Amino acid sequence: MADGTPGAEADREAARRFYRRLAFLTPRTLRDRWLLDMEEVLAYRLSKARGRRGRAWVWVAGTWDLLRCALEERLKPASPIGATGVNDPGDGRRSVMGWSSEARQALTSLKSSPVFVLTAVGTLTLGIGAAVATFSLVYAVLLAPLPYDDADRIVAVWPERNFNAAMVRETDLRVDGIRDASGVSFWTLMMREGEVATELTAAVVSPHHFGLLGTRPALGRDFVSDDGLPGRGGVIILSHDLWIRSFGGDPDVIGRTITISGADHERRTVIGVMPEGHRPVMRAPEAWIPIEADPALSIAADDTWWVTERFARLAPGVSLEQAQAQLRAAAQSIKDEAPTMFSQEDVDRATLRPLGGYIAGDLTAPLYTAFGAVALVLLITCANVSNLTLARGEARVRALAVRAALGAARRRIVVLLLFESLFIGVAAATLGTLLSFALLRGLIALAPDTLARLTEARIDTPVLLFALGLALVASLLSGLVPALRGSTVRATAALGGGRAESGRRTGRVTQALVAAQVALAVVVTTGSGLMLRSLTTLLSEDPGLQAEGLLTLRVNPGEDRYPTAEELTLFYESLVDEIGALPGVTGASAIHIVPGRADNWSFPTYPEGHRYAEDENVITTNFRAVLPDYFEVAGIGLLQGRTFSRLDRRDTERVVLVNRAFAERWWPGESPLGRTVRVFSTEAEPYRVVGVVDDVRQFGYDRAPSPELYYLQAQWDWQIGQTLVVRFADGDPMRHAALVQTAVHGVDSQVAISQVESMESVLGTSAATTRFLAFVLTAFGALALALGAVGVFGVTSYAVGRRVPEYGVRIALGASRESVVRVALARAASPIVPGLAVGIGLALAAAGLLEAALYGVDPVDPATLGFVTVLFVAVSALAALVPALRAGGVDPIRVLNRG
Amino acid sequence: MTPADPTRFLPLHALEFRILLVLRRGKSWGSRIVEEIEEREGGRMTLYPANLYRRVRDLVKRGLIEETDAPEGSDPRRTYLALTPLGREVTSLEAQRLRSLVHEVDALDLITDG
Repeated sequence: MADGTPGAEADREAARRFYRRLAFLTPRTLRDRWLLDMEEVLAYRLSKARGRRGRAWVWVAGTWDLLRCALEERLKPASPIGATGVNDPGDGRRSVMGWSSEARQALTSLKSSPVFVLTAVGTLTLGIGAAVATFSLVYAVLLAPLPYDDADRIVAVWPERNFNAAMVRETDLRVDGIRDASGVSFWTLMMREGEVATELTAAVVSPHHFGLLGTRPALGRDFVSDDGLPGRGGVIILSHDLWIRSFGGDPDVIGRTITISGADHERRTVIGVMPEGHRPVMRAPEAWIPIEADPALSIAADDTWWVTERFARLAPGVSLEQAQAQLRAAAQSIKDEAPTMFSQEDVDRATLRPLGGYIAGDLTAPLYTAFGAVALVLLITCANVSNLTLARGEARVRALAVRAALGAARRRIVVLLLFESLFIGVAAATLGTLLSFALLRGLIALAPDTLARLTEARIDTPVLLFALGLALVASLLSGLVPALRGSTVRATAALGGGRAESGRRTGRVTQALVAAQVALAVVVTTGSGLMLRSLTTLLSEDPGLQAEGLLTLRVNPGEDRYPTAEELTLFYESLVDEIGALPGVTGASAIHIVPGRADNWSFPTYPEGHRYAEDENVITTNFRAVLPDYFEVAGIGLLQGRTFSRLDRRDTERVVLVNRAFAERWWPGESPLGRTVRVFSTEAEPYRVVGVVDDVRQFGYDRAPSPELYYLQAQWDWQIGQTLVVRFADGDPMRHAALVQTAVHGVDSQVAISQVESMESVLGTSAATTRFLAFVLTAFGALALALGAVGVFGVTSYAVGRRVPEYGVRIALGASRESVVRVALARAASPIVPGLAVGIGLALAAAGLLEAALYGVDPVDPATLGFVTVLFVAVSALAALVPALRAGGVDPIRVLNRG
Repeated sequence: MTPADPTRFLPLHALEFRILLVLRRGKSWGSRIVEEIEEREGGRMTLYPANLYRRVRDLVKRGLIEETDAPEGSDPRRTYLALTPLGREVTSLEAQRLRSLVHEVDALDLITDG
């Protein structure tokens, strides 16, 4: 919470945020009149605090200050003007306060058992803190409304298929149920300001993109439809971030022409700056440029097949289902007109998906799984607190019985006990919410960064309301059983006779609660076991290359500096020569899209010997351009033939390498060497296959390899940036990153460098979702296990305590101490065994929920279940052993004397 | 309304009395009040906003202190507080009450006895 910024105004702002967040705690009479003054005093406190720890203490003490006042204000009898509140005479006025006397008694009673309060609040704090942090993620990604006009009417159109600009236009025209269909794609552009070259990610969008979302630039103007005509669109809209970073926030940037290459125009005029905090639909680009397309082109004639996402708005009064049926019909008519462009499968997949679910994508299941796990953990903590309260209630049986004997209504006793739980719940929710700030920071750091919305998770009003709700639910859950039990205490118990009978019944309830805890903990722990196995299986998959010791960095010299393909090839050759000669480097080469990145180039492919039928959909294949020696440097195995060398030049025969999957797909059982491949069309120049290389998992560990074509950069006309791959003989390649960057700028000082990362880290990103879920579930699993152990320990201690006389008699009658320990242990096992059995049953029933998140592990995995069972037996035995040993150590003489 | 009987406000809560004592020396505002009280308590007391302002609110409500004009050029977000004539009277009465209490304690010689 502390922002650490010096200066009175920063402190003042921090104080203001604090009271805004905790507004629900602040008594109304203070909030309405004295809030500014309270902020001033808190800012003063902050200014006096020393260091981070001092400030942290101010936040804790400030929260406690509010909480205490809120409680005391609510419990205080309505004091007439003149009474001072503290020295209130305490006459009959209190009766109008309803339950306030119970609440006060509950506070007094809690004050007298600090150990109980600490344990109960501490346990619940852990559960609530974890639940609040997880909920804030779920809320940010899945539940929070998107910041667009009528966001629930915006849909993703026909996902999982690339469009061209003509198809976006046609879809909009032919489907009456949607309007403003807008395409989005992400390109890398090169911006040059003086001597400085930077690469930036731009979203290429339909001109009415911002109109669809209901947003517009904060400065300057939006795109207009003319900007989308070919040759007209030399315009660009900057993100707030880029505007500040590269143009110093200068408002005069509007109308300026900047040098920016990589898409149609060399120079573009800045027409707008988006507002700070504008949330882009998918990834966050640094700038937006319009899609330029000739409105007269047919779908078949338009070659802009790179429009990766489409969004549109449902027309008024049209349901998603109606619009979807219209889309399906339109897709069919588009296929009929251009049969080679689409397969029937494509048409069948023509769907509309609500924007929110589409954006959350792959994270929906992991987040709900994590949330489910944390809910179980919270139930376990509630059961634990229930048990603690029961054990304490047992000790208080006489006091309660006296109250009952004096005529206290059953309702009043229930209320008293519920108030105790409520205070514990509220205290735990407050501390848990504070804890959740730290937990959330950790969760965000661990979470896959594929989604901008995740990092927006924060503890805000909805999350605080959730925490408040949790406090009430946790109080009820953990307090209800003890409260109902406590209220059945009879006056006869006060005479002493009821204790044994009441204890027996409490014992049964306690045992049932422990069994429930064990069962829930088994479910969570099984989940974490499965995710850990899944993660290790995933990471042990062979990526197809030797990632260790490999550094990757993207370089882009820009189009204008090396205008011919020969010059560009010479530039790259001198670049890898220079880097290859650096100390510690054992090889250097380049590929235009490094494995593990989400980008892809994929082209229609015409392999020799295959003729497509008239209406057959042309297969596209992943395409990569590489420099000679790429396969040797990356450690990708050569299976047949040869790889590229510098003898392959622009003026020698055009050659291509294919991977194993490509060879098996097109020429099964035959040698691909000497065959030819064309891309784009049957008229294109043929490339001869000279070698077959091993498969590489281009899109991460969890995706099977797909067919690939490798072309040589020197024989490929498109001028493109490359990703250098540099192999080092020793250790972490990132240590040498600066050296390599200096070498690149030694060859050409204006080359833009980006995405400097080790190959291991690039590939690791693709396992991020699994890693995130594995970590979260493991943490929750460990917590569940620990809480389960505490439960077993508690119930065994309690049982041993109650049976001290019995054990004393047994020992006096000649039983060995070992046999007494055995008896105590066997009794401890009685809730554990059914708990384990039920837990395993639940884990099996819930296995299906995890299935989608698992990789290479069966959701019903005997090894994991076996391990979890052994773990629980061992941990429970340990937890029961300490009290059981105490049973063996009972002194029979003292017991008999007392009895 | 008949003038309030100052004795019915006694005894005062310790923090309220502290606030009144600060204001007895002149008008003041939140953090300045906190600073003075803490200084006089010699570090035995740390005041937080809610606790302070609910006392301030009650004192205002009971007519012992009131909001007053801020000096030229001061931070407009600050509320300046001052004693009312009634507050002045109550402060004196409380002081007398405490003094007689101290006399009583002295007579018993409790402090030297430990």
